[in-house]
Amino acid sequence: MSPSLTTPSPAPTHTLHALATLNPPSNSRTWQSAPHPTQPLVATACADRTVRVYSLTSFTLLHTVSGGHKRSIRSVSWKPGTRGQNVLATGSFDASAGIWRRHESSRQGTIGADEIEQGGGSEGEDEKEEEDEEDYQFSCILDGHESEIKSLSWSPTGQYLATCSRDKSVWIWEEIEDDNFETVAVLSEHEGDVKCVAWHPEEDLLASASYDDTVRLYREDGDDWCQVAYIGGERGHGMTVWWVEFEGPVATIQEKDFRASKEGLSDAQKEWIQEAQKSGPRLATCSDDCTVRIWRRTPKETAETESRNTGVPSIIRSFSVDEDWVADAILPRQHERAVYSVSWSRRTGMIVSAGSDGKVVVYKERWKSQAPNGTEADVDGQKEVESERQKTEWVVVAELFSTHDVFEINHVCWVRRADKGRKSEDEEVIVSTGDDGEVKVWTLEESS
Amino acid sequence: MELDKDNANPTILNPSDLPSRRQESLVKKRDDGGSGLFDNLVPAYNYLNDPFDGPSSSSDSDYDVVENIDEQEIYDLISSISDPEHPLSLGSLAVVNLPDIHIQPPTSPFSSVSTVLVEVTPTITHCSLATVIGLGVRVRLEQALPPRFRVDVRIKKGTHSTDEAVNKQLGDKERVAAALENGTLMGVIRKMLSTCK
Repeated sequence: MSPSLTTPSPAPTHTLHALATLNPPSNSRTWQSAPHPTQPLVATACADRTVRVYSLTSFTLLHTVSGGHKRSIRSVSWKPGTRGQNVLATGSFDASAGIWRRHESSRQGTIGADEIEQGGGSEGEDEKEEEDEEDYQFSCILDGHESEIKSLSWSPTGQYLATCSRDKSVWIWEEIEDDNFETVAVLSEHEGDVKCVAWHPEEDLLASASYDDTVRLYREDGDDWCQVAYIGGERGHGMTVWWVEFEGPVATIQEKDFRASKEGLSDAQKEWIQEAQKSGPRLATCSDDCTVRIWRRTPKETAETESRNTGVPSIIRSFSVDEDWVADAILPRQHERAVYSVSWSRRTGMIVSAGSDGKVVVYKERWKSQAPNGTEADVDGQKEVESERQKTEWVVVAELFSTHDVFEINHVCWVRRADKGRKSEDEEVIVSTGDDGEVKVWTLEESS
Repeated sequence: MELDKDNANPTILNPSDLPSRRQESLVKKRDDGGSGLFDNLVPAYNYLNDPFDGPSSSSDSDYDVVENIDEQEIYDLISSISDPEHPLSLGSLAVVNLPDIHIQPPTSPFSSVSTVLVEVTPTITHCSLATVIGLGVRVRLEQALPPRFRVDVRIKKGTHSTDEAVNKQLGDKERVAAALENGTLMGVIRKMLSTCK
């Protein structure tokens, strides 16, 4: 395999500091925490059949969503783009998914994302809203899966909800109107439990990760959803893939990560940036094999150009919807046991991972150092074609042991910081969710 | 519960009374809990508030003393598990064996996580109950050991026709958690563990 494992690991440049433990913790295992797309809220799926909604400004419990599921809630997802209400989808080991709504007071309903982001001075108002007694109401149930639902996720526009299960299938539901869901696809490509589903940030492209050691991608072709890519076999993880997540939109992220500074870039590096724009957001996966890996799409430029030139009606496609996703990198191997979760910051491009060993590890991408004489290492043409593209490398910037005492971490994600200690509009914190029932918030600070 | 035990122990004169008494007290505890089947099952699995549930309370003191748990102690915890088919223990059937238990201490000075690997030997190569036996061993150890232990249960290589598939299931935390919420399966496991000393 081309991605290099021998990434140099310099001393971590950052330190993780405990900021808060969301209070009170659950007295049962917590599985996953979903940050609200715009508000300073996080919803946590718990083994005690509840979802706990915590405030990220006060770090306290605001609501407990309970009474619907007969077994552990494994997964939770906020519907994006709702107005005047908050909508949660819950996926449970009881094989059903639930939809829950909480109508906001009219005043709160008008608060948009921008106001929340600028809301540093209005904590008092936030507190009042948080005390609102109205709770999340059960709205409807989505039945269809034959066994435990492992993960669910709303598409970025809120049009689709994807669910996946031990029954080896991925379902796509479309909300025609409130509480009226239609099954638009049942995808049965996997040969084992489907562990995780994730949507592309800009396209109607869905990825799923499975107990069958593979990752599959789907999109709509005509009226049907079908598999368009497969990552597995020799070039895959070779063990259960626990989590899959897309990179943020490239146009945004390239202004913020290591690509932002265009000074002194070589032609090859500029080319890399262009290629990355064509490929679009990459995919991060993590696995029982203890690795975190990055995959990228091979740009389809050629195929599309050909089809445009033929003038064949789009119904008779001369090109396939198939996509080619190839290995881009294997992150430095820091975990000793299964990696259950990986999250890609939409603000800095950094990646955080966590799992059974209780460690939280943060990585960032950077330009690979060039050959000593200043010429590109691959100019001599002696390198493999694959490695020629390896213009970047991932390094560990922070690592923390025993983040949940001796317990396993089931989920980790980036969240915009919202408490009073926030240093900037864009500051992010890491939220980890553990077997100890605790959801913890961590800041990432540059080591002095 | 603790009181019951202190009172109960001195009154047990005949060792053959022990299993039945223990079974009785387990059932009673569940009734007293009164919050439904799953409430009882779920917290029994790796929970902070009561990780040393039930008969294993003797291992409480080991939580702080890292060196205290050795292979022999692991063996003692699992050898008395009953076989789901036969009225015999896994120890007497040689399904679990002392040389097949391996404890790995923390691999880093910053980590306090130890690993216990138990390789089980099913009585026959196509034994359909291999998964259930493995699950019983995993559940027993996760209930009895302090949470700093990661428990890996595998079928001993070459002793079972589908060992890879069984190992994958037993190693899958999410599948194990879901299995613990399955009333029928947990009934079988409870029965197997009811003979544990």
